[in-house]
Amino acid sequence: MHIEVQPASAAGQVQVSLDGELDALTAPKLYERLTQLVQQNPSLKKIILSCQRLTYLSSAGAGILLMCVDNFSPKGIALELTQVQPEVYNILDLLGLTKLIPINHA
Amino acid sequence: MPKTALQFGATAENLPIIRHFVRTHLAKVVLNSVELNQITVAIEELCANSILHGNKEDAQKELRLELSVQKGEVHAYLYDPAPPYDIHSYPQEPRLLRADTTRPGGFGIYLLRCFMDEIRVRRRKGGSSLYHLVKRLSSVPEGC
Repeated sequence: MHIEVQPASAAGQVQVSLDGELDALTAPKLYERLTQLVQQNPSLKKIILSCQRLTYLSSAGAGILLMCVDNFSPKGIALELTQVQPEVYNILDLLGLTKLIPINHA
Repeated sequence: MPKTALQFGATAENLPIIRHFVRTHLAKVVLNSVELNQITVAIEELCANSILHGNKEDAQKELRLELSVQKGEVHAYLYDPAPPYDIHSYPQEPRLLRADTTRPGGFGIYLLRCFMDEIRVRRRKGGSSLYHLVKRLSSVPEGC
């Protein structure tokens, strides 16, 4: 999976584009990248994951998103998913993540 | 659809290969993309559990996945050298976070149970296991 991080805005927002499949193999890489991003940007307020090219999400991928919410929220950093494909939204919805994370469809 | 099979070692590196195998063989039969994804997720979750937990990512351990479509039903068989676990004994709803660890738990089996109509688990001779998943398709092309 390819992860592309845009420069943080003055308002403390950063957009991260995900391209590929988020599974047990790639999910730890995403978590590592986002954790690094949080550590490098003390004024970060929001991470927007652009999911237009995210074509697959397994339980491991959903678990990592949940870990991000759990670990970043106490630091005052919100997570948001945009342009989520129907196949991926279906998984997030079933697992209840749509109630925890602002998510909009593609 | 004639039965097709994929033999693979118990390593997470094989998860994309498993997904590709499932999609390639079911794409002409499962016309709804969300339904195809649900079947792919269910089969991958079953395989991931066997790879990561049952066989502790021992690449020397060989698993076999068989797929067939009969009378509007997708059948997936996973032959696993590890002993079986009881999928039905897990709670219906996943706990978002387990109390004993910061890692989320129960998502995979929950999805597997949501997406498949039947899940059968059998202990084979020698202590290995056979998992049989059945999915009744919402719509089926003629001849399937």
